[in-house]
Amino acid sequence: VKVLTLLLALGGAALGADELSLPPVTRATLDNGLRVMVAEYRELPLIEFYLIVGAGAAQDPPGKEGLATLTAATLTRGAGERSATELARAIESLGGQLGASAGTDGTIVSGEFLAQDFPAGLDLLRAVLLDPRFERDEVRRARDEQLAGIVAALEEPSAIAEKCYAAFLYGAHPYGRPAEGRRDAVRRLGRGDVRAYYERWYRPNNTILVLVGDLTARDALIRLREAFGAWRAAPDAIPQRAAAPEPQRERRVLLVDKPDATQTQLRFGNIALARSHPDHLPATVANTILGGGFTSRLIEELRVKRSLTYAAWSMFAARLTGGDFRLGTFTKSPTTAETLALALEVEGDFRSRPPARPALDKAKAYLRGQFPLKLESPDALAARLADIEFQGLPADELTTYRHRVAALTPDDVARAAARHMPTPETVAIVVVGKAAELRPQLGDRFGPVETVQPEACEELAARD
Amino acid sequence: VARRLSILCVALVALPGSLCAIELPVVAHTLPNGLRVLLHEDHSAPAISSYIFFRSGSRNERYGTTGIAHLFEHMMFNGGRKYGPGAFDDQIEGNGGSTNGYTSRDITAYLNNFPREALPLVLDLESDRMGHLALTPENLEQERGIVMEERRLRIDNQVTGVMHEALYLHAFVRSPYRWNTVGFMGDLKRITLADARAYFESSYAPNNAVLVLAGDLEPDATLALVRRYFGGLPRRPAPEPVDASEPPQEGERRVTVRKAAELPAVLIGWHGVRMLDPDRPVFDVMDRLLAGGDSARLDQDLVRAHEVATEVGADSGWGIDPELFTVYAQARPGKTAATLETRIDAVMTALAEERVSDDELRKAKNQLRADFIRSLKSVSGKANQLGYFEAAFGDYRGLFGLEAAWEAVSAEDVQRVARSHLVRAQRTVVVLEPLARGSAG
Repeated sequence: VKVLTLLLALGGAALGADELSLPPVTRATLDNGLRVMVAEYRELPLIEFYLIVGAGAAQDPPGKEGLATLTAATLTRGAGERSATELARAIESLGGQLGASAGTDGTIVSGEFLAQDFPAGLDLLRAVLLDPRFERDEVRRARDEQLAGIVAALEEPSAIAEKCYAAFLYGAHPYGRPAEGRRDAVRRLGRGDVRAYYERWYRPNNTILVLVGDLTARDALIRLREAFGAWRAAPDAIPQRAAAPEPQRERRVLLVDKPDATQTQLRFGNIALARSHPDHLPATVANTILGGGFTSRLIEELRVKRSLTYAAWSMFAARLTGGDFRLGTFTKSPTTAETLALALEVEGDFRSRPPARPALDKAKAYLRGQFPLKLESPDALAARLADIEFQGLPADELTTYRHRVAALTPDDVARAAARHMPTPETVAIVVVGKAAELRPQLGDRFGPVETVQPEACEELAARD
Repeated sequence: VARRLSILCVALVALPGSLCAIELPVVAHTLPNGLRVLLHEDHSAPAISSYIFFRSGSRNERYGTTGIAHLFEHMMFNGGRKYGPGAFDDQIEGNGGSTNGYTSRDITAYLNNFPREALPLVLDLESDRMGHLALTPENLEQERGIVMEERRLRIDNQVTGVMHEALYLHAFVRSPYRWNTVGFMGDLKRITLADARAYFESSYAPNNAVLVLAGDLEPDATLALVRRYFGGLPRRPAPEPVDASEPPQEGERRVTVRKAAELPAVLIGWHGVRMLDPDRPVFDVMDRLLAGGDSARLDQDLVRAHEVATEVGADSGWGIDPELFTVYAQARPGKTAATLETRIDAVMTALAEERVSDDELRKAKNQLRADFIRSLKSVSGKANQLGYFEAAFGDYRGLFGLEAAWEAVSAEDVQRVARSHLVRAQRTVVVLEPLARGSAG
């Protein structure tokens, strides 16, 4: 076992204004390849486990979309000598939480226990990861609940908008597929599928484990080694990642019909950059000016000046092999076209000229000032440490963050905006609302319009 | 340098083993103008969280101007005397802070999370708007449209939003708890600048407010700063007391909501007790017994044993006046609301008829304690809890009594309160009948 302790931050006195005092992180890689990070947190008597298993919906076999999600859901339904109900009772009797959910690139398994229950919590986590039962009846229950969840989500206009936007923009690329899968595929999933997915991908050499809590790193590491040392590695557990998605060239509109809606949900965007792209930080600063916080250009133009909406935002959804820039807002049905046109104009205008100096300074101050608050909770710190490792970012990502933001020039930010924010003429637009009222409003002003029912979006993700 | 502890562990005989009750060290002070100040030191991050609570929410509204407390919360960001329109958000974000506000039935809260260097600026900004908010037609008209959009988002286009609004409107007859905090669309349209002025005069006085600062601060110097920025604001007459007394409910009330939706659902509310009632912790325990996770009773019955629900939930509301204890269930495809109700009835009957086991009671209490600890992970979470208890319930120390109060709940208490309060005659049932998309409502 190799143990390497990195002091990610130095103690109090030596800190410069831009450095951040964080607990030291002890790193180790077990013989089976499990990458472990432990940080001590002494404010509250809590223990946080945060694991990323490096496979998700992108590894769903064709025709079995939704399998990663089903595997994660069944993972905590019985393990070792405990049935599903016994396991839930054991976790909840401690006031603890333990759950798993699949994203596209990875699956997150996370748990939280009181510090006094560390041994019991670790034992439960170990059982779930190494010895899940996957009983036939539990797989069936989890599958039925997954199907019901897909139906229930059709009631949520913003959930429909997010799902339809990803499918419309990415098409058959894994980032366009909803992790919960297509209903016709989920219906056919069974115990064998779940077990095969688990056996293939849930391996220590494909997993990152972060532990943050009220404990001594040295002792914790010994316990982790005892708990997970016997977990067997497999050479083919590291997935081949999906190719980077390609941007689309022509603007087009997907109109999703919600005949009862009095408010329209809007999303648009295009393919942008991966999390590990060197431009990610300047792009984030640019986005903060355009659509982050309460004083963004979008808030100013759509909300403050015109009262068209309650919220407007933009973001880079940056993931392992690619990502997208997306902008979102909502407005009452009659002002849909006006709001969409204005949002496109604001976005296009912003990316095509350098940001004003005061706006840039404000965005930088905002990101730097808020950064310590994003890491103060032990669960947030654990998630951030795991993500940095998973994305292949430098180990000093957190401690140097504020310095790197401060060092960005107006040119850096303007270049990133121009390069990674889409021209409005190329974006994929999703409009969720009352189609009968919206179709004449939209006309062909924003590009060709395709009208679908909300449940059809899962099929968009299946087509090229 | 020895670090001062930001969380104290106080031995509590009633808690088993080596457990202790959590207390946060607080310096409390009241300025001559009545402003209540709570300071909590926590040096774990170079940041401070500020909260200002006004003891005024939609509970303090009247018919015709419902929604004004929340509309007013929006207006508070649009300029005072020293800082003009847009300056509040600009100054906060430009100095590395974030800002927000929220309104509930009982209180209105304004929060900022910011680097410690920005403390004097934040106090100046807060004092400027507390003392001298610019009540202009532009400010009102801008926020009126935005709040109407917020209502469309949270209520009108949200199935559970419509159900909750219907529940409170029918469960309460006289209490101002009956309307939703966002207000009726008709009232949002007609609220005038004079209404806003009157609301400001009655609710936004320093003697009706609690200021909480938590984080990387030094109490003595901070208190001096607070005096400097807030000491000059004049005391004003206290708002009129609210009489929220309800006529007794003499039988079950049933409401049907017909709305485009995918799945049937049921929301049931029983009249509970006020926050300071000695029986209120029993409702928290019942909330966890019923819906504190996959092993809880509603999950085990409706989701697991009978497979009729996609989702279940329970909520024991905390209020100055008696709140509702609610249970919610959404049906699986192909299952009906009537089936959900039958199963909920069976679960509620068992709670009243059979003594809860020691293990199950212990589980509920452990969950409450762990959730309480979870709520203290951030300086913002701590400031929020302290201020909420002080503003809504009169004493921040009520927060530190929660653990002991939960611990004291017995199996007999659960049975007694379930029998006295969670009864059919005291409940209001909202049934969602889904309409197919596109059919007329």
